Amino acid sequence: MSGDLRLDRLAKTFPNGTAALEELSADIAAGAFVSLLGPSGCGKSTVLRLIAGLEEPTRGRVDWPQTRGSLGFIFQEPTLMAWASAAKNAALPLELAGAPRSEAHARACAALAKVGLEGFANALPRELSGGMRMRVSIARALVAEPEVLLMDEPFAALDEFTRSKLNDDLLRLWAERRFTGIFVTHSVFEAVYLSQRILILSGRPGRLIADIENPAPYPRASGYRTSPEFNATAREILKALEDRAA
Amino acid sequence: MMMQGLRLLLPIALFAGLVGFWEWAVVRWQVPPFILPSPGAILTVFETDGASLLGSAWITLGTTLAAFVLAVISGMALAVLFASSRLAEAALSPYAVTLQVTPVVAIAPLIIVWVGLDNAWLAVLILAWIVAFFPVLASATAGLKAVDPNLRDLFRLYRAGFRQTFLRLMIPSSLPYLLAGIKTAGGLALVGAVVAEFAAASGNTDGLAWRILEAGNRLQIAKMFAALLLLALMGVVLYAILSFVEWLLLHRWHGDRRRA
Ligand SMILES: Nc1ncnc2c1ncn2[C@@H]1O[C@H](COP(=O)(O)OP(=O)(O)O)[C@@H](O)[C@H]1O
Ligand SMILES: [Mg+2]
Repeated sequence: MSGDLRLDRLAKTFPNGTAALEELSADIAAGAFVSLLGPSGCGKSTVLRLIAGLEEPTRGRVDWPQTRGSLGFIFQEPTLMAWASAAKNAALPLELAGAPRSEAHARACAALAKVGLEGFANALPRELSGGMRMRVSIARALVAEPEVLLMDEPFAALDEFTRSKLNDDLLRLWAERRFTGIFVTHSVFEAVYLSQRILILSGRPGRLIADIENPAPYPRASGYRTSPEFNATAREILKALEDRAA
Repeated sequence: MMMQGLRLLLPIALFAGLVGFWEWAVVRWQVPPFILPSPGAILTVFETDGASLLGSAWITLGTTLAAFVLAVISGMALAVLFASSRLAEAALSPYAVTLQVTPVVAIAPLIIVWVGLDNAWLAVLILAWIVAFFPVLASATAGLKAVDPNLRDLFRLYRAGFRQTFLRLMIPSSLPYLLAGIKTAGGLALVGAVVAEFAAASGNTDGLAWRILEAGNRLQIAKMFAALLLLALMGVVLYAILSFVEWLLLHRWHGDRRRA
């Protein structure tokens, strides 16, 4: 995918009358890492589902450069098939696309190795820890080398250590693959650490209240978390949220 | 290991003890054989009437298995229809429930009239099927509804076809529910078959129920016990086989139905 992914005055009201998203316009550059930040219920998941084509917008549209880019999706829960091995789970996108079994298996194992799960190809989800399950989920999302990776609070349910480890792994994978990353979170610090740009949504119905650049260069080592630059961006975000609340 | 040995040994020892007491008590208190025959007398029946009893057991077993297979196939098919069309579910489920809650014995005469007394076996099959069908439908419907909506979305995202979604997602997700229903259906198919045979109550059906009625009319109590023994044995074996199949299919991820 070359060129921007454009969200053009996206709005969504559900059939039951819930206005989830009021109006969201943003151009997301190919290969960028963008976070969507906002309180619970402000329509962040809805934005991802609209981009993924899992919901139809009530108004506005999602403009893809030429054709719809290939997508990966990571949910807050690992969302694995409990009856299938890690490799089978990671191979799912390939197998659904009709890839030969052996090829799908080999690529799935390679994807698992990329997320630090070599040797766990045959493990069932219940035999893995929460963090490892999330890694399988990441491997599955990346196995087909998507152009756009949509992530819906993927690490929110994990402990702090696992979470920061996975943050680093995610950045490393992004540096290698250069997919367009759209990352939903309600953690200011996670948003700052990961992204080049942070879109802040107001409470329900969601609308864009700030669009903040984070110029810090990559690779961002863990020292970045305690640096003055990090603090400056975090403060800018908190201020935008406060202004809004005032 | 000790515990497992005990679990196996204890029921067997209890059984041996009970049978021994039974044999002893019948002699001790001189219980007349038309009230309670001794275990030995019941075993003797298999020597004298074994062929006819086994023949009847064979017929009842055939009806049971046929009704069971029909129930599983039709129950699953209807569940899939319900899962893919709310309209179909709204339209049809009241009928399924009505069929279920109406006592099968009460429907029996009607079915027998419809298929004709010459085809009593068909009436029995239909009645056993009606009894066994509902647990399959109910459990398969519950199972299909329990599919993780995020996984469903994922399949949509990757543009999976109906076949792929059905085979790779819906069937495996609903398997624990489905197998529980199928296990119940196995037992109920046997119950249904015997109840229907009683209701048909004619020599035309020739199953074990008919043997029991016949023996009862002639006060051959030992033979009634022998037929009961065969029925119990069939039920237990059927249940054991279905439990084993369930274990085979689920033991790797069963016991942990948490969403992964
Ligand atoms: N399918 C749906 N039908 C009705 N309301 C919904 C649906 N999905 C989400 N909502 C509502 O829309 C609002 C925004 O939801 P969501 O996008 O999940 O928010 P977030 O991810 O930011 O927490 C919430 O109030 C939620 O209850
Ligand atoms: Mg959400």
